[in-house]
Formats: sequence, C-alpha cells, structure tokens
Amino acid sequence: MEFYRAHVLICAGTGCTASESQATKEALVRELAAWGLEREVQVVDTGCFGFCRFGPNMMIYPEGTFYCTVRPEDVPELVEEHLVKGRVVERLLYKQPETEAAVSSFEEIPFFKHQLRIALRNCGVINPEAIEEYIARDGYLALGKVLTEMKPAEVIETIKKAGLRGRGGGGFPTGLKWEFAHRAPGPVKYIVCNADEGDPGAFMDRSILEGDPHAVLEGMAIAGYAIGAGQGYIYVRAEYPIAVHRLKIAIAQAREKGLLGKNIFNSGFDFDLDLRLGAGAFVCGEETALLISVEGRRGEPRPRPPFPAVSGLWGKPTVINNVETLANVPTIIRNGWEWFAAIGTEKSKGTKVFALAGKINNNGLVEVPMGTSLGQIIYDVGGGIPGGKKFKAAQTGGPSGGCIPAEHLNVPIDYDSLTSLGTIMGSGGLIIMDEDTCMVDLAKFFLDFVKDESCGKCTPCRIGTTRMLEVLERISMGQGQEGDLELLIEMGQQIKDTALCGLGQTAPNPVLSTIRYFREEYEAHIRDKRCPASVCAALFHSPCQNTCPANVDVPIYVDLIRQRRFAEAYEVIRRENPFPVICGRVCHHPCEGKCNRAKLDQAVAIRNLKRFAADYALSLNGQRPKPQVAPPTGKKVAVIGAGPAGLTAAYYLALKGHPVTVFEALPVAGGMMAVGIPAYRLPKEVLAAEIATITELGVEIRLSCALGRDFTLAGLQSQGYQAFFLAVGAHRDLKLGIPGEDLAGVYSGVAFLRDLNLGRPADVRGKSVVVIGGGNVAMDAARSAKRLGAQEVHIVYRRAKEDMPAIREEIHEAEQEGIKITCLAAPVALLGDNGRVKALKCNWVRLGEFDNSGRRRPIPIEGSKFIVPADVVIAAVGQTVERDGLPAELKVNRAGTIAADEKSLATNLAGIFAGGDCVSGPDTVIGAIAAGKKVAAAIDRYLGGDGKVVPEAAVERKRTAPVIEEKTARLIAAPLEMAERLQSFTEVERGYAEEQAVAEAARCLRCDVRE
Amino acid sequence: MSTVTLTINNVRVAVEAGTTILKAAQKAGVHIPTLCYLEGINEIGACRICVVEVEGARNLVASCVAPVAEGMVVRTNTPRVRAARRFNVELLLSNHQVDCPACVRNLNCELQTLAQALGVRQVRFEGQQSRYPVDTSTPAIVRDPNKCILCRRCVAVCEKVQGVKAIAPLERGFHTVIAPAFQEELINVPCVECGQCTLVCPTGALYEKDYTGEVWAALADPGKFVVVQTAPATRVSIGQEFGYPPGAINTGQMVAALRRLGFDRVFDTDFTADLTIMEEGSEFIERFTKGERLPLLTSCSPGWIKFVEHFYPEFIPNLSTCKSPQQMFGAVAKTYYAQKAGIDPARMVVVSIMPCTAKKFECQRPEMRDSGYQDVDYVLTTRELARMIKEAGIEFPALPEEEYDDPLGESTGAGVIFGATGGVMEAALRTAYELVTGKTLPSLDFHEVRGLAGIKEATVDLDGARVRVAVAHSLGHARRLLERVKAGEQYHFIEVMCCPGGCIGGGGQPIPTDAEIRAQRIAGIYTADERMVLRKSHENPSVQALYREFLEKPLGEKSHHLLHTHYTPRGKY
Repeated sequence: MEFYRAHVLICAGTGCTASESQATKEALVRELAAWGLEREVQVVDTGCFGFCRFGPNMMIYPEGTFYCTVRPEDVPELVEEHLVKGRVVERLLYKQPETEAAVSSFEEIPFFKHQLRIALRNCGVINPEAIEEYIARDGYLALGKVLTEMKPAEVIETIKKAGLRGRGGGGFPTGLKWEFAHRAPGPVKYIVCNADEGDPGAFMDRSILEGDPHAVLEGMAIAGYAIGAGQGYIYVRAEYPIAVHRLKIAIAQAREKGLLGKNIFNSGFDFDLDLRLGAGAFVCGEETALLISVEGRRGEPRPRPPFPAVSGLWGKPTVINNVETLANVPTIIRNGWEWFAAIGTEKSKGTKVFALAGKINNNGLVEVPMGTSLGQIIYDVGGGIPGGKKFKAAQTGGPSGGCIPAEHLNVPIDYDSLTSLGTIMGSGGLIIMDEDTCMVDLAKFFLDFVKDESCGKCTPCRIGTTRMLEVLERISMGQGQEGDLELLIEMGQQIKDTALCGLGQTAPNPVLSTIRYFREEYEAHIRDKRCPASVCAALFHSPCQNTCPANVDVPIYVDLIRQRRFAEAYEVIRRENPFPVICGRVCHHPCEGKCNRAKLDQAVAIRNLKRFAADYALSLNGQRPKPQVAPPTGKKVAVIGAGPAGLTAAYYLALKGHPVTVFEALPVAGGMMAVGIPAYRLPKEVLAAEIATITELGVEIRLSCALGRDFTLAGLQSQGYQAFFLAVGAHRDLKLGIPGEDLAGVYSGVAFLRDLNLGRPADVRGKSVVVIGGGNVAMDAARSAKRLGAQEVHIVYRRAKEDMPAIREEIHEAEQEGIKITCLAAPVALLGDNGRVKALKCNWVRLGEFDNSGRRRPIPIEGSKFIVPADVVIAAVGQTVERDGLPAELKVNRAGTIAADEKSLATNLAGIFAGGDCVSGPDTVIGAIAAGKKVAAAIDRYLGGDGKVVPEAAVERKRTAPVIEEKTARLIAAPLEMAERLQSFTEVERGYAEEQAVAEAARCLRCDVRE
Repeated sequence: MSTVTLTINNVRVAVEAGTTILKAAQKAGVHIPTLCYLEGINEIGACRICVVEVEGARNLVASCVAPVAEGMVVRTNTPRVRAARRFNVELLLSNHQVDCPACVRNLNCELQTLAQALGVRQVRFEGQQSRYPVDTSTPAIVRDPNKCILCRRCVAVCEKVQGVKAIAPLERGFHTVIAPAFQEELINVPCVECGQCTLVCPTGALYEKDYTGEVWAALADPGKFVVVQTAPATRVSIGQEFGYPPGAINTGQMVAALRRLGFDRVFDTDFTADLTIMEEGSEFIERFTKGERLPLLTSCSPGWIKFVEHFYPEFIPNLSTCKSPQQMFGAVAKTYYAQKAGIDPARMVVVSIMPCTAKKFECQRPEMRDSGYQDVDYVLTTRELARMIKEAGIEFPALPEEEYDDPLGESTGAGVIFGATGGVMEAALRTAYELVTGKTLPSLDFHEVRGLAGIKEATVDLDGARVRVAVAHSLGHARRLLERVKAGEQYHFIEVMCCPGGCIGGGGQPIPTDAEIRAQRIAGIYTADERMVLRKSHENPSVQALYREFLEKPLGEKSHHLLHTHYTPRGKY
C-alpha cells in the first residue's frame, strides 16, 4: 500500500460534474505530475458535498481545507500554494456573503454547520468506487452484526424502535413495512429499492447512490435478511448514468468480497442484487407502477390492496424502500435505535435530506434533523434569498406537495407538521420562491408536470388534471371568470378523492395549496386581469410598468428618451403620474427591481431617466406640453390634504373639468414631500415648480387651513361642495414606549423633519445624535442631522440590516456619509440627566422565530445591555393618522387608519372618499399617487362621469432600435462630492447629462415588444 | 373460505372473504354503476365510476376492485359519491366526441346511459380533446379513438380472452390512446379481426365496418341478382335486437325480413355447413387412416385461421383445407346454383349474414375467388342486419315465419350446431361415425364437447379406433391447447372457434353479449337442432343432390377446386 502525504477529494457527483469538475481534476493530475507530486498527493473522486451552487467542490486533507468553484485555471496556483508551499489559497475559499470573510474549514461554513449527516455521511468523504473506503468507515459492519448476532425479528424491532419512516415521501414506518413482509407466507420474497427519483429539482437519492452506493446495498441486504428475501432489485432511472455506473461497480465489488451472493458472513444467508433501469416515467416512483415496470410491463399503478408486502413483484411479498431510507439502516444498526430515536421530533425521527433549489443562495443538498424549522433551512443553511428579494413561499414534496408561505417559516419540518399545512414531506425537494414568483404560474408549472406524467389509466387524473390546467391557463391569460376558483377547488378535491394512485391523489395539491395561501393573487388575475409578480406575460406589457403602482408606461418613455423625444417622454409619464420631477428623485422605484436587464447585467436606471425627462420639461419654462382639460362641470370637489394623494386627485379631477379646492393644514403644500423629505433629496424649488403645474390647471390650494379647526365638511357641503377626498396622511408619530421618552432632546422622526423643513431645525450642532429605526424617516433624520452639524450620528435598529424597510440606496448613502448603523439592538430606556437625555440603553437581540411578515422576531439577550451616549435621540419608529378634526362618525380601522372600500375608496359617509397614507398607513409617494388617481376616478364616477381620468393614448409597441444584447453597465450620474454634501442641504443626486440619458435609455430590452 | 360481514347502506351482508365490495353490494341488492369493469376480464379500477364511501378510508374506494373487510361500513349513495361519479362522467364526456344521434351506438351506449342515470346535465369543461385518425384499414373493424373512454375492456379481451394483444394503451396521460403498437393501423398488426373488442366497447370507439350501404345499393339495382345466406348463430341472436330474450329462435322471421328487404333468394349457411362436414369429415377419415398431419384442426372460423397464420404458422399443415361454410356457399352459389337457376354469375351478388366480423375479412381473401368471381361479395353482421330491418321500417315481431329457398336452404341439425362451440366437432362425429362404422349412432348428442368449458376433450370409439378430440373456444384457450400439442399431447381432431362460446358469441352479434347471453344462445342452438327432422349432414338431400349433380364426391376434383383452400404464414409484425 502506498502512502500519500495529502489527499485531494474532488466531487464527482452530478452537480459538480455539470460544473466540469472532471476538467479540474484532469488539470490537477497534470499539474501534480508536472511538479512530480503524483506519488505524494492522491486525487480522489468523491460524492456530493451538497454545496452544488459553488461547484466544483474540493477538499484537501489532512488539513481539511474546503475549496469552492475550483476551475482548471485555478489549479496551478492551488498546487503551488497549497500543496507545495502549504499556504491556503484564500480566494478559493468560501466567503461569508455579508462580511466577505473567507472560511477554510468545512464545519464553519454556515451551510454545513447546521447540518447533521447520516444518510449523506460518506458523501464527499470516501471514494464511492472503492469498497475498501466504505469498509474503512465501518461499512458492512451492520450487515455482519445483523447476520451473526441478530434474528430477523430483532432487526425489525430495532428499526421499529428507531422510528425510521419512509423517506420517499409517504412516511410509512419502515419497520412495520418489513414486519408485514416478514410475516407474509412463502419462500420467495423481494426487496426493491426505489431509486426512481423524479421530482423537479430533487436529487437526494441520486447523490446518495453516486456518493455512497454501498450504504444502499448494505441497507438492502439487511432488509432482505429481515424479511427473508434472497433477491433485491434497485429500480434506478436510466437518466442517472453516474449512479448506475457506481452501483454496478459497487455490486461487483460486494459480490467479489462475498458481501453479496451465497452464504454471506458464513451465516447461511444468500442475498443478491440486480439493477433495473427505469425509462424516466415519474409515475414509476409509485410502488405498484414500479413493480409492474420491474416486471417489464407498462408502468402503471394498480389498485391496492393487495399491498406489495403481501403481493408484490411477480405476486410475491415485496418490500419497497426509498434510497435514503435504506441508507439510514446500516447506521441505525451500528449506533443503535436509541441513538437514532433521540434525533428529530416525537413522531419523525432522524434526519431528512433536502435538495434546496430555486431562489436561494446556497442551492444544493442538505441533511438536517427532523424538526428543524423551514426558516432555519432557508436562512441558516440555505443562506437566504438572493438579490435582497423577499421570501414568498417554499414548495415541499415536489408536484405532489404544496407551498408554505412566509407566515409559516417557523414550521418544524416533520411529516405531521407539513401535512397540517396542506403539503407533504415528499422525497425532499425544497423549492424556494421569492417575490418574483407568480403563484398561479407556479401551480401551472407543477400541474403541467403531473398532467404530462399521468399514466392515463384513471379518469380523474388523465382528464381532470388537463381540465384543471386549462382553467389555470385561462386565468393566466386574463380570461379567468368568476367561479373559476371554486371550480378549481372542486375539481382538485374530486381528483384527490377519486384518483387511483398517489400521483393523481396529490396532483391537485399545488393548486389547492396556492389557492389556500395566495387566494388574493388568483383574484388579481381573475378580477383585475393583473399578475402582481409580473410573470403571466399576457397580463402586462412589461414588468416595470406592471410593477409601477401608478402604471407608468416605462418602456415607451424610455424609448422616447432614446430617440431624444424628451418632451414626449415627459408627456407619457405625466399621463399616469402628475409628479415626474419628484418621482424622478425620490421614488423607491419598484420598477427597477423587476427590470429584466438585471438578469443580464444591471437594471436600467429608470428613475434617473424619468428625472431626466421631467427636468427637461421643467427647463422649458412653461413651454412644456400641457394636458387637455375637459369643459367645466361645475361640480365642486374638496380635497383635504395637499400631499401627493390629494394633489394627484386634484390634478385628475381638474382634467375632468371639476372645480377642485385643496385644503392644507400646514403652511406649505406637498404633504410629506414637503415636510418629510429633506431638501438634499428633494429641493424645495423643484417641489414648488411641480405643484405649480397642478395649480395652473385651476386647482386652488388653501394653506394653513385645518379640518376641524378652520372648517368642517358640513360647512363645505353648504358651500356647494359635492364630493370630498380625505387625504390627510399619517403625520402622528408612534412612541417608543420605553422610559425616558419625555426627556428633553428626544424627538420623533416626523416632527424632527417637519421642523427642519419648515425652517426651524432642532439644534444638533456638535452633538451625538442617535436615531432609532430602520425606515426612510430614520435615514432622512440621520442624514439631515449630519448636515445640521451633529458630531456623530448613530442609527440603532432592532432587526437585521436586511430587514430594514428603508430604500437600499438610502442605507448605503447614510453609511457613506459616516453614519454608524447598529443592528440587532433593542432600545430599553432613555437615560437622562437633569431632564435632558444623555444616553440610550439597549439590549442586544438575537433573531428568533419568524413573524407573519417572514422576518425574524428580535429576542432580547438576557444580560446583554449596553449604553449608547446621546445628546439627541430621534425616534423614527413609525407614524399613524392624526385623527383630531376628522368627523366623529367616520369609520376607522383597528390600526387607526381610515376605513375605505378597497375598490371604490369610499368611506362609510356618503360622498366622502379617503386614500393615501391615512388609509394605507405610511407608504411611498408613488403609492399615494396611485391612490389619488384611484380616488379621482371614483369621485368622477360619483359625480356622474365615466371614471376614465387617464386620457387614452394610442401606443405602438415596436422596437425603434436593435436591443443591446451585450453586457452593458448601468450609467451612473455622478452624485455631489462627499465633502460638499455634508456642508449643506444641496441636492445629492445629479441627473444625467443628455448623452448619458440617451445611452442609458438604449439599455432597455423593450420587454413590452412581443414579436 | 371464511365469511366476512359488512354493512352496505345500513344493510348487513355476509360474503366470502376476498369478495369485492361491488359483488357484495350486488348480493345486498344494491346497484353500483360501473363502466370499465368487465367481470373476470377487466377488473382494474380505472374509470372511478364505481366509487363508494368506506368509513375510515381517506378517499373514495373503487368498489370493483376493493375487497370487503370484516365490519366494513360502505355507503354507495351519498352526496360525495354521487358528485364524484358525476364529475368523472363529466370529465369523460369532455374528452369524448359527443355526436350521439349519429353514433352507431346511440341508445346502446354505456356512457350515454350512465350520464343519464347519474343525472349529468352539463359538461362544464371545455378544452382540449384528444383527436386521432379513425382507423378503417381493415375490412372488419373500425377503430375510432375519438369516442374511446379508455376503459381498456377491449385491451383486456384482446389480451386475456383472445391472447392476441393487437391493441394496448400507448402514450401517457391525456394523450393516452388505445391502439396497435406504434399507432400502426390495425391492418398492419396481427389483429385477427374477431371483433370481440367491439362487443365489449361501451361506446362507439370500436365497431364493425358497415357494408349496409353496398348491400342497399345491390338490392336497389335491378341488374343484380342478390342472394343471401344466414349463418347458424344469427337465428338465435337477431331477436335480441327486437326485444326477444337472448337465445330465442327467430329463423322464420329472419327469413321473412330478408325477403322483405328485397333479397332474391334467401338461403342458409347451414346447407354448406353440412357440405363442410362432408368434406372435412372425409378429410379427417383420410388423414386419420393415413396418420398424416394430425391433429386435424378445423377451419370454419376465419379469426382462428388468421390467428394460426400469425402466431402458429407451424400448425398450418394441420389446418383442414376445407373452406368455411360461408365461403363454400359463395363458391357453390356462383357455380352450381347459378348454372341450375340460369343466372349469370357476373350479376349475382352473394351477401352473408354472419355473427362474425372476421368473415368480412375472410370474404375478401384473394384465395376466395374460385367461382371466377369474389365468391361472397358482402358480409353483414347480425347488428347490421338488424339496422337494415329497422331502417326499412319492418316490424320484425309482426313478421310471419317463412322458409328458406331451395335448394341451398335445406339443412340438418348438424349444420345448426356449427353456431356453438363443440358443434363442428359434434356434427363431424355424427357423420364420421356413420361413414367409418357404417352403423347408426345410438345417440346423436356428444355432451362432452358441448358447454362453456374453455377446453373440452373426449375420446370417441370409431369401431375400435379410438379418436381423441379436443374443442377450444376463444383464442386464449386455443393457444393453451396448441401449446399442449406442442408439448406432446396427442389429439386426432381439434375444433377451434375463435370467439368465446363459438359463433353465437361472435364479434358481430348484438350488444350486449356476455357469458349468460352466450349460454342462452347455445341453448337456443341445441333446441333448434333437436327440432330438426334431419340431424346428420350426410342425410341432407340437397347436399346429396349437389354431389350427384355437380361435385361427384367429397374430396373429388371439383370439390378440391371449389371447396378447399390453402393458408399463408403472416408473421407477427
């Protein structure tokens, strides 16, 4: 035997093979030979590490250094540095996504840290093609023990006590199944391994077969002994060539060593194995169909009973176990049932292997103890959702399963908990979906899969799944009808109730479970002909427009900019949004989050392009295009509140010819745009100029005129006002609810910003300012404080940074401006001295269970208090509606917002409508604009109009220039220099120059053009 | 067997363990609708119409395959059950070419009946329909997958009863279609065209190829002389189409109906059945005496012949060279009779009324033109004849009983029993015995070869010579019997009829044709035999005249030319 000083294990599983691990291996072998190291360093093929996202994976022993994504071109450096000079190559190590810190040890990578590998224990550790390596890891010890020390009944008892349940999905107790077959009469019995893994995205069984085939062989031999079978079959998909190849090698090696065949361990027990290759029909994973297929006939399920344990293969008692189930068996025998039963939950013992797929950072294969929460798997093991997107739902059990929405992230993964949520454990496919997933589309995908995989034998599955799919297709085409959901539910239940086999009985699950948890998304498709996730292509022109709350036709105006038709671009924007200049600066631009260009390089800078077109129009000094105003109707409308919602409604009502008066309590118009957003983001003159475009249509704004104080609705009514729009916003701050809030030097975020914007800023010069909160108000307050000369500004937030509701850019800019952000810290008390605040006392928190929004609940860590010195504390933890002055009879919600009908926005009082922040709670500018537009339509209808407030326009969707398909970086408009920024409230962002704007506009992929 | 007690709709029933819920319900007087179920042949639980509620079961249970259990509580008529059944019928209808009024199975369609019975009043699902070309490639069977509901009874009959496996489910899911392998046309696969599939098809997806149009045209053509022959088995089945109980003997009314339809002469295939016995009996005696090409295999059944040609070509030498009675009739009609009646055979049209679809194939075989013309022009099944009678507005039950025309209408009881399994053997033995021994049979009834047992065996003493005979009906049994022969079992004479029960269970017979109806028709056949004055073929005076005037002697040169044929191996694919 030769001794090597180092071993390089390189993954030869399917995942890494697809990442061309074999090329890396060949490069390694060549490089080692070039260094003359071929006798010192051995290169070994091994099984799946599970970290497939970062393939090819490689492990170097004896150090145990784990390298990711090792390409052939990395090999020379790796050999020279690591294997010759003994230095770890840092750039090939796994990096923590947030800190970028390199991790060299396998166990410290979060992906591996939370795992417990039983079924996968040898994957990535041994060479699956060498039986000696399996034996060296105690392989076949369990078989030896069973054959020489145990009676079959004892083996069965051990498995029963261990609590092992079928890992193929059904979760039937394995020991019980063995017992049935053991008791069935007759000399001939079979054990069959179900390796017909077919769920989309699932590759648990494949990896075990590829990485540790002997574990399955040993499990089968033990099962064979327990039930009295002398022959076993492994039914494996022909599409798994590596698995098939290694199984063949393993069987040959085991036979050669006498571990299969006659008289194993001299015990008198004969057992042999053969492979049967499946042709890839999903239904052949169903046990009766599988058996029929093994017999060489068309793979179709038959009714049970008789169960295979009584009458299976060729009518003989047969046990069918899944790969993972069998792979658990030898370890249970070796370590004892007590050991196994101590892992997991009460009714689900041991571990479960999952294939993590979809919108998750660490795509790959993981094995965790039963009872691990879904959230832990997704965030701790899976590394969370890529691109800062929101988790929406997880699909377990593949097409037979169902989805689990964010509000159930705490669910412990075990058989019974999943069943109670309407899904199943399944074989372990775990597909993660983010906010970009349309649940109707998802249901369609899975149903389409099962529809195609239906064997066609029984009526409900054969025709019913097609009929369900047709209804779904209709819905996703915008042809859904009232009653479609009820029809889908009825069909789903009937199919479940009457289908012949498990495939049909579970086929409707994805539809039923998405309806259960995402009914409103279906309703959006059916009633509003809208796909909120921008997936169902027939329902929108482009994802950006579809995502814009105000429905601005982005690709059209972007293309007009590209054509240098800037004024027309402005007109296109203004048709749907009366505030292009403002939104061009402060919009949180959800459109960019959906830009398809991001999949190629980066999203188009839509907001900046809007700003360019708007600023261009503004620069025309009144020469800009003006909208058409309808003849006067004489029907007076009163708008209460001159914020974005109120002014938008005023704008559209004015266009329809209604005389509008806007009553504003503050001395300035603009609402939060005026008193919330600081001037460095939205200069006052810009705001004023844009508001002027509305007053010039004849809209009258009466400032410092507060409802309840200066006028009443009844009074207005007597003056001839026929309709009212309450758009009073949410200007009342929420309290922290901790001691010391009344100390001097403690401000609320909104009040702080309002005072600043009204020209009476708080004095923070030279002081230590602590801002509490993680929203945009917190960022605005912090950055303003910095500009007001605060010596130090510190943001304290109780959750994780990625949970902050503020716009990402704002957080980034704040940090750039030197603002310190401390997360996971919960304020406990404000400490004062002589009535003035001196410090903030905080508790460190850890992240606990997930709340309904899918974020982790902060839980204070006992005894972890710390003090942040502060001269000024600004609490920016949310706002609510100021209810003083509102009519007493007006209905309000529990949250303190005004109750208005979702569709008509009418309140409980006749003629009185409400919208904007006072209905929705604090929202965005574009959200308020959308609400204002909706209210304008409702009021127009109320006053006898047609409700069509947006002028119709003919839009031609065609490409005016070739699409740029090469990677092209997004153009950055240089912001104000840092040195200048903090000296004043000068606007930070600078718009595009004309050439920049035209070039950026050319990056648009024109998703709206369907050719 | 142990007994199990269960409750069905609150009624306690005791049945044998292992019984299905469906059968237990039958015992309890509870009707459960079924569709794919075909007792003993197709018990696969595919259509999900027979579902019932079983207490404690998560899902509904297919009663046709679910065994009873002690203490089981079954409900067959709950809202859940009714809704599920309706739903599945609705689904079937949504993918069915619903053109009921124009469908051959209108008013005799199980899907239609079921939809009515279950109160299906609308089909809520519009959408894709699986559409496949209609297969009209064979002269006998039309396969219309657009009406198929995938119950698979046809597949089961073809595979399990006939052992042919010409059709099977292909493709998957919604696109599943019952068709020959690779969606070949039936003509290109070893389908024997027996038509058993058409008998079990609940809808209009499999049916006989219709030649009534051609026959109507011939009848309307004054230049044609149209003669018709009726097979033995049709007389005990045609009545079923007009409300008579199965097995009723309606020979005279059938003859009357044919006359009213306009046939110029109405003859009886029984006549040539007697003739067949003369030839085949002589052939047997010759081979038996010489010990050559034994066992002799009968050759009356064209489906059986095609089966041998496809699957057992090594047995072709054993097949009797005698043409079937239908084909002997055609050859005799267009020669002997044409000459005798002074009719130009060129303007003679010979039509057969047969219980059989394979006969349509047989009459078009190129070997069957020894008269100088196609010996038999058109074959109509019993079902087609019934349709013509209805179309013509003939009140069948009101018809008087009429006699066949002479001379080809005269027959014996031996000719009649050709219609039932064992009948050819019995008829042959009646004649062979007397020809060989020169003695009169003490009893004409050979009970050992009668009845519905799959394979029947007997040893007959022909004056010291012991003849071992066997009879098989259905090709599945035929296959088993041939395998026995291949394994060394010694027989001298084997009768095979392609269809279960013999021709009375032929693929062209009225629907339904099930085991009970077969037994009733067989009873009808033997009653008809008993009523005959003459019951031995060699005693048929017209046959004797035929030999005297025309053929000279059995196995003579003219016989050889007109009444015997040869066979061709066809291969499996």
